[in-house]
Amino acid sequence: MTFLQPWVLAALPLVSLPLIIHLINQRRFQTVQWGGMMFLLAAKALSSGYSRLRHWLIMLLRMLAVAGVILAVGRPLSRGWLALAGGGRPDTAVVILDRSPSMQASDPAVVGSKLATGRRQLAESLATLAPARCLFLGTPDKPIEVSPQGLFDLPAAEPAAAPADIPGMLRSAYDHIRENAAGTAEIWICSDQRANDWALETGGWSGLRDAFAKLPQQVRFQLLSFSDPAVGNVAIRVADARLAVRGNERELVVRVEATRTDAGADPEPRTLPVRFEIGGVTTVVDLELAGREAVLADHVLPLGRGVEARGWGRVSIPADADLADNEFYFVFDDPPPRVTLVVAENAKAERVLELAASIPPSKELTARADAVPRSALATAAWDEAAAVLWQGPLPTGREAEFVDAFVASGGQVIFFPPEQPAAADRFAGIFWKEWSSYAEPVEPEQWRTDQDLLANTLSGGALPLGELEVRRICGLGGEIVPLASLPGGVPLVARVPDERGISLCATLPIPRDSSLASEGIVLYALVQRVIDRGLVPLLGARQLDAGAATVALAQSGAGAAAWERLAGPPGLLSTEAGLQPGVFSVAGRLVAVNRPEAEDAAVIVSDERIDGLFRGLSYARLSGHAGAPETVVQEIWRAFLIAMLVALVIEGLLSLPRRTRSAVVGMPPLEAAA
Amino acid sequence: MFSDRQPRSFLEPAVLARLAGVPLLARRPMVGSVSGRHASPHRGSSVEFAEYRKYVPGDDLRRLDWRAFGRSDRFYVKEYEADTNLRLFLVLDTSGSMAYGSAKPGAVAVEQPLSKIAYARRICGGLGYLAAEQGDAVGIACAAGEIVRSLPPRRSPAHLRLVFDVLDEAKPEGPTRLPNVLHELAETTRQRALVVIVSDLFVSPSELAEAFGHLRFRRHDVAVFHLLDPQELAFSFQRPTRFLDLEGGGTIFADPVEIADRYHQAVAAYLEDLRRIVLESGVDYHRVVTDQPYEQVLARFLVGRAAGRSLR
Repeated sequence: MTFLQPWVLAALPLVSLPLIIHLINQRRFQTVQWGGMMFLLAAKALSSGYSRLRHWLIMLLRMLAVAGVILAVGRPLSRGWLALAGGGRPDTAVVILDRSPSMQASDPAVVGSKLATGRRQLAESLATLAPARCLFLGTPDKPIEVSPQGLFDLPAAEPAAAPADIPGMLRSAYDHIRENAAGTAEIWICSDQRANDWALETGGWSGLRDAFAKLPQQVRFQLLSFSDPAVGNVAIRVADARLAVRGNERELVVRVEATRTDAGADPEPRTLPVRFEIGGVTTVVDLELAGREAVLADHVLPLGRGVEARGWGRVSIPADADLADNEFYFVFDDPPPRVTLVVAENAKAERVLELAASIPPSKELTARADAVPRSALATAAWDEAAAVLWQGPLPTGREAEFVDAFVASGGQVIFFPPEQPAAADRFAGIFWKEWSSYAEPVEPEQWRTDQDLLANTLSGGALPLGELEVRRICGLGGEIVPLASLPGGVPLVARVPDERGISLCATLPIPRDSSLASEGIVLYALVQRVIDRGLVPLLGARQLDAGAATVALAQSGAGAAAWERLAGPPGLLSTEAGLQPGVFSVAGRLVAVNRPEAEDAAVIVSDERIDGLFRGLSYARLSGHAGAPETVVQEIWRAFLIAMLVALVIEGLLSLPRRTRSAVVGMPPLEAAA
Repeated sequence: MFSDRQPRSFLEPAVLARLAGVPLLARRPMVGSVSGRHASPHRGSSVEFAEYRKYVPGDDLRRLDWRAFGRSDRFYVKEYEADTNLRLFLVLDTSGSMAYGSAKPGAVAVEQPLSKIAYARRICGGLGYLAAEQGDAVGIACAAGEIVRSLPPRRSPAHLRLVFDVLDEAKPEGPTRLPNVLHELAETTRQRALVVIVSDLFVSPSELAEAFGHLRFRRHDVAVFHLLDPQELAFSFQRPTRFLDLEGGGTIFADPVEIADRYHQAVAAYLEDLRRIVLESGVDYHRVVTDQPYEQVLARFLVGRAAGRSLR
C-alpha cells in the first residue's frame, strides 16, 4: 500500500494510546471498604471468558480506530493487493506505453481496447498520485512532458503499427532520470508482455537492470500488464505480392497468410472471408482456417489491361478481437532490371561472376551484368546497379569514394580476393591477408543457415555448401562476421558487422581455387541474394515494417513531410510516419507500412520471466483487463474512515453497560409476604 | 422512660411519639407472664369471645351460658381469649459489613443513607422503646461471628436502658455467622418471643433458611429487617477500585464498570433466593434500603402487624 502523505505514518505508535490510557487508568484506582464481598466474588467468577474477550475486543477496536484515523490522514492508495511496494508521491512519473498492434485487442464483452483501458487507468492513477512531473514515452525517443489528463488526447499515445521497444524506452527513461530527475521516480509500464516488444534476448536487460540499481535516486517500477490473449483473434498479412503477365493482361500474384493469435490446442475450423481491395475493386475469397495458420498461396488477382504496373491494395478480414491485425496494405510494381557491376582483375573469375549475375531467377525478370574496368568506374551505371562484384585489390582513393557512395545508397558489394593481396589496402576496416593453399581440397565445415546470405531456402532446404571444394583461401583481416568457415575456423564467406551491405568471399570462383563455379548453386544463390538486397532501394514499391528503421527512413532525406499518405488510418502526424500503417507515396515510389511479422506470432513472455527482469529493483506487477472499469490507483482514505467509524460504533456497542438489573428497579418487591 | 443522663443518638422522641399510636403486636400467640395486648394460647377473660364448650364439673358456674341452657337444656361454658404480654427479642447484626454506608460525611438527613449499623440502631431502639412502652419485655443479642453480647427480655424500664446501652456500644466488626447465632438463640430462648432480626444478611440463603426454620419450630414470631445500602444495590463505581473486605476477608481489585453487570446478576439471584426462603419459612420480611426514612419503615411494620391482628 502506498501513501501520499507517508510521514503521517510516523504517528502510528499512537495506536498504543488506548492501551497506555488503560494502564494509567488501572493505576489510578480508588480504595473502598466494602461489605458485599460475596457478590463481588460471584461477579468476578462470572466475568471471565466472554467478559475478558469483550474487554480486549474493545481495546483492539479503539486501537483500530486510532490506526484508521492515522492511515486515512496518510492518504492511502489502492494499487491492488499484489502491489505492496511502499513509497509515497513520486517526484517524476514516467509512462512507458506499449502501443503495438496487439495492445489494440479488446474483450468482445466490454468496450475498450487494452491500450485505451491502460491509458485511462494510467491517466487516472497519475492524476491521483499527482507527481511533480509526468513524462510519456511511446517510442525510445526523448520523453514528452505531459499532464496526467493529457494522456487521454496525446497523439503520441495513439495506437501504432510498430512493436514497442520496451528496453529502448526504459533506456531512454534511465537517461532522463539520471540527468534530470533528482527525486523519487516511478516508471509505469503498460504492456501486453509480447516477446517482440520486450526483446528479452537482445534488449540488454541485465545491463539495464544494473544501471537502474546503481542510480542514486529511488526508482520504482509498476507494470500494468494486459497479458490476456485476444480470444478468437486472427491476423492477416500479405507475405508476397508480385506482378505477372498472362497474355496481354497483368495479374497480381499474392501470398496471404492468416494466423490465429490465440490458437489453443484444438482450434475449431472456420471459414475466413478475405477481402482484397485494389484500385477500388473488391474481391472476397474464402480461406479455410483449420489449424493455427492458413495460407492462400499464389492467389491470382487479375488487374486487367491498361492498369498501371505500380499500385497498392489492401487485404482485410472481418473485425475480431484485435482490429489492428485485421488489415494489411501491400504495394506492387514491375521489378527493376537486375543490374550488376562486375569489377575483376582475373578474367576467368570475371566471366563466372558475370554469368552468376546475368541469369535472372525467374523468366519475368531481366538481369544484366556489366563488366567495368577499374579505370572506367566513374562512368559506370552506379544509379542502376543493385550490386557490385569486386575481385581484386580493395578500392582506395577515388574508387573507394564510388563504392562508399554506392553502399550508402543501399547498394550491395561482394569483395573477392586479389591475386596479390596487400595488407595496406583497406576498405571499411577490412583487408586481405596472404593466400594459403590446401594439399587436399577442403569443404566448408559450418555456415549460418538461419539467416543472412547463406540461409536456407524458402522451402527449408540448405544450400549445398558442404559439396564445395576449396583449394586456396585468402586470409581475411579486420572486424568481420563469418557466415561460412573452413576447418580451423578459416572464414570463407563473411560480412562486415554493421550490415552496410559489404560481404566477402575469401576464394575465387575458378577451378584453381575452388569449385564455386563448377558447383554453381552456392555462388549463384549468393550473388542473387546480394542483388535482391541491393534492389530494395531501386524498387518502385516497397513493403516496410513499422518501426524504428522505417521511422529513420521517413525522417531522412526530405523528411516525413515527403511521405504522402495514399491509404491508412486518418489523422497521421508527421512525427508518427513509420509507426502507423498505410500506403505512402515517397519521391514517386510506393511504400506500404505494416506491422512486423513478429506481431502476429503472439508469443507472450511469462510473468515469471518479466518479474525476473526487475529482480532487485522496486517492482510491482498489476494485472489489467481490456475494458476493466476500475482504476489501478485510487485513494482509499474513505474506506479507512469508514472502518474507523465502524470500529467506534462496535466499540460503543460493546462498551454500553448491558441492561443491568438495577437492584432497586429490578429486584423483587420490597415487602415479601411472610 | 428516657434517661436524662444519656441522650441516645438513635432515638428521636418526635418519631417515637408519632409511632406510639400504633401498637406493636405479635402475629402469633405469645405466652406471657402478665396480662397484655397480645394473644395467648390459653383461654382467658378478655372481651374477645372464643368458643362454647360443654360444662364439666369444677367449672366456674359464673361462666355458664344460661341462655344457651334455656334454648337447649344443656350446660355450656362460654370461653374468651386470653391476652398476655410480649417478649421482644432484638437480634442486631454487628458484623463488619454493617459498618458500610455510602452516605457522604456530614449528611444528617434521614433520606441520606446511613451506615447500616446506625440504621439498625434506630430500628432496634424504636422497637424496643415501643415494646417497653406497652409493657412488653425487651431483650437484645448482638451477633457477629458469635453472640457478642446478649440481654434476656425484661419488662422493667431499667432493663430498657441496658438494652439502649448495648445498642450504643455495639461495634461492627468481625465476620458474619448469623445462622449459627440464630440456631443458638432458638435453642436458648425457650419461651415464645417476637424475634426481630436486623441485619444485611450477607450469608448463604440456604443457611438462613435452616435458621429461620429452627426459630419457627420453636414457635417464635420471626421478623427480619434486611438492610441494604443503595450503593450495594447500584454498584455505581466508575473508577478501578480496590475493595477491602470489612469483615477481614481480603482484597479484591476490579474495574466496577467491567463487572457491574455480573454484580447485579449476583445480587438479583441472591435476593430472589432470599425471597423464596422467607415465603417458605413464613418470616415477616422487610427489605430496607438505608436511604429510606426509618420512621416510614417502622410505621409500615407496625401497621402491617396491627392489620394482621384485626383479621384474627
